[in-house]
Amino acid sequence: MEGLFDYAPAIALFPLAAFVIALAFGPKLPKKGAIPGIVATGGSLLLSLVMLAAVAGGEEGYYHETLFTWAAGDAAGEVGEGIEFTFGILIDPLAALMLVIVSLIAFLVHVFSLEYMNAEGETGLPRYYAGLGLFTFSMLAFVYADNLLMAFMFFELVGLCSFLLIGFWFRTRSAPSAAKKAFLVTRFGDYFFLIGVVAIAATFGTLQFAGDDSFVAAAETAIDDGGQLFGFDAETWVTITGLLVLGGVIGKSAQFPLHTWLPDAMEGPTTVSALIHAATMVAAGVYLVARMFGYYALSPTALAIIAFVGGFTALFAATMGVVKDDIKQVLAYSTISQYGYMMLGLGVGGYVAGVFHLMNHAFFKALLFLGAGAVIILMHHEQDMWKMGGLKNKAPVTYYTFLAGALALAGIIPFSGFWSKDEILYDALIVGTEQPLIMAAYAMGLLAVFFTGFYTFRMVFLTFHGEPRSDVAEDPHPVGWAVKFPLIALGVLAVVAGIANLAPVAKLTGLEIEFLNEWLSGGAEGTTYAAYTDALAAVYDTGYIGTESTTVLIAAGLSLLLAFSGAGLAWKLYNVPEPVAHKERLGSVRETIESNYYQDEYQVWLAEGLTLPLARAADRFDQTVIDGTVNGVSSVSLFGSDRVKRVQTGIVTNYAALIVTGFIALVIVLGVLGGWFL
Amino acid sequence: MNVPIEYFVLLSMALFSIGLFGILTRRNALMFLMSVEIMVNAANINLIAFALYHGNLTGQVFALFVMALAAAEVAIGLGIILVLYRNFRDVDVTVPTTMRW
Repeated sequence: MEGLFDYAPAIALFPLAAFVIALAFGPKLPKKGAIPGIVATGGSLLLSLVMLAAVAGGEEGYYHETLFTWAAGDAAGEVGEGIEFTFGILIDPLAALMLVIVSLIAFLVHVFSLEYMNAEGETGLPRYYAGLGLFTFSMLAFVYADNLLMAFMFFELVGLCSFLLIGFWFRTRSAPSAAKKAFLVTRFGDYFFLIGVVAIAATFGTLQFAGDDSFVAAAETAIDDGGQLFGFDAETWVTITGLLVLGGVIGKSAQFPLHTWLPDAMEGPTTVSALIHAATMVAAGVYLVARMFGYYALSPTALAIIAFVGGFTALFAATMGVVKDDIKQVLAYSTISQYGYMMLGLGVGGYVAGVFHLMNHAFFKALLFLGAGAVIILMHHEQDMWKMGGLKNKAPVTYYTFLAGALALAGIIPFSGFWSKDEILYDALIVGTEQPLIMAAYAMGLLAVFFTGFYTFRMVFLTFHGEPRSDVAEDPHPVGWAVKFPLIALGVLAVVAGIANLAPVAKLTGLEIEFLNEWLSGGAEGTTYAAYTDALAAVYDTGYIGTESTTVLIAAGLSLLLAFSGAGLAWKLYNVPEPVAHKERLGSVRETIESNYYQDEYQVWLAEGLTLPLARAADRFDQTVIDGTVNGVSSVSLFGSDRVKRVQTGIVTNYAALIVTGFIALVIVLGVLGGWFL
Repeated sequence: MNVPIEYFVLLSMALFSIGLFGILTRRNALMFLMSVEIMVNAANINLIAFALYHGNLTGQVFALFVMALAAAEVAIGLGIILVLYRNFRDVDVTVPTTMRW
């Protein structure tokens, strides 16, 4: 069993090979690179499943191996002395789970692309499949990275791939601009991440995630010793470095205030959106928090900030999703909102809940995006929901799978999204009873459930119900097996994935059915759920309203009630043969929400009104003072040498005269000093 | 017959000054070469005079070496002058100044 882990690097290397093949031979291949991509991601999926089984069946329950050391400090090897930069693989239960999710989604997206991209006769398909391959490679390597630096490098590569794929239709005006925006906004967050990596490396001398020489263990020791780090309390310093790393997470996972890139990223192909939102780019941020959860668990402040940002983003994005007319825009805001939930879950210490929602969200959001892709095929590339309607009977497979995804997203029992979202809200509630700030985050998360239910079913009703509102909706383009197969596979998962952790049922009935909980309890020492629970016991007090059972019921009941009322309101307003827009009734609020709370405007102002003048001033300082000094030195020496070189006339007589004059002068000087003339 | 050392030194000094004067004032390369030869011989006279004065033959031997060196120098110098003439149709030393900065 243990020998199987030797094949672990291949999980990421398969898509890399597909990338190379698509890039080199893509134009000559029958499907322009789709086949190698499908084979490679399929291989990765199989290997990931093997790893999952190996982790489950192995003695240790995890695999940690350093593959390559590319730089080592002088005193490397002595703990806390020299720093070693390595590439290594860490496959513990969390990583194994994520590997399966990522490779599964990537595989299905590749299959879906056969119809979404190839059948449409797109140009540049080899570039598209090469991008997908590199994207999958980066994400898989990021997932099983065993240290923070390697994680950072692949994190950056993920960002690069998103840039390449969002800007796939680079001949349009909007796609390159959206790609640039995604790249720059996430890079702004990654800047803090990089500083965080350097700070952690400089402080603890190690960047390993797991094991005795991990920075998590080092930080724990430092806090226990009660010493000072860089002039701060150890705990304050851990908070600072943790928050720096969190900057990258907020950028990638599109949390407030760096969420603005994500809706614009809808300019890319829908398949790419599915990959970005469900499994790769956006998931990378939350996965990183889960990966180094032990580190955050040491700092109550960082956790509270994560929880609050998450709760706020969940509500904030959900309200914006309510007024969007483009089917992909609605899904984009729902993604931001759902990742807000995951952050909330992780922030309140609900490690299992956060990871659970990450998994469920990957399934149902990939399903919804691929469903939206199918709708876009049906509608001949029309994305405005007001031009759809009545697709229910004409495309039953798309409808029912999309509906399953929508029910999961809205958090309707018993679909997968309900179980994980409810667990997050439950975890937030029990902590919130003791801490007002977390209570506020919980309240925002709870309120967001209502909006989620509303915009999800507004989308479903406008798209599939009622009478067709355009000619293409009357006569949709048929979809083939390459669309239906991924939809059905994901549809089934979106319905049943909740079984992985039926926490409320377990708490009420006492049955031992919290499989994910048990699964995440394994792994390397210090990265297990049990270790996190111990660490969190010092951070958060939990309280119940009445007993545990009543709290569970209250939490689940509240979120279900809100989800149903949101969905019900959508039902009432939009499930009619000829729905009309109700946005006008919102009055002045509508304008604010439709402008996305002027987030883009103020960020553009920050860039143009603040950063640009500052950069100009810095440029002027550089051009005048710095360059002036350097140029001054060089002109002085140029001018001086121009004068001095005239001594060289090229006439031998002059040289002889100079020599003689010099000699005479020397003799006179020596004579005067020697006192010959006295 | 015993000539005092001062006369030798004076003769040598006079020859050296004549040679130097030639170098500083003449423009003809041949004159240059001759002036250099005069200066070399001024040094030779000094060498021999002091060798006689000290009763030591080293100076005279050295003078022989200098004469051989001067002959070689003349050969090279004349060669340079020939090339100079071929390139510039002139043996004026102020003309070939193109190789300065």
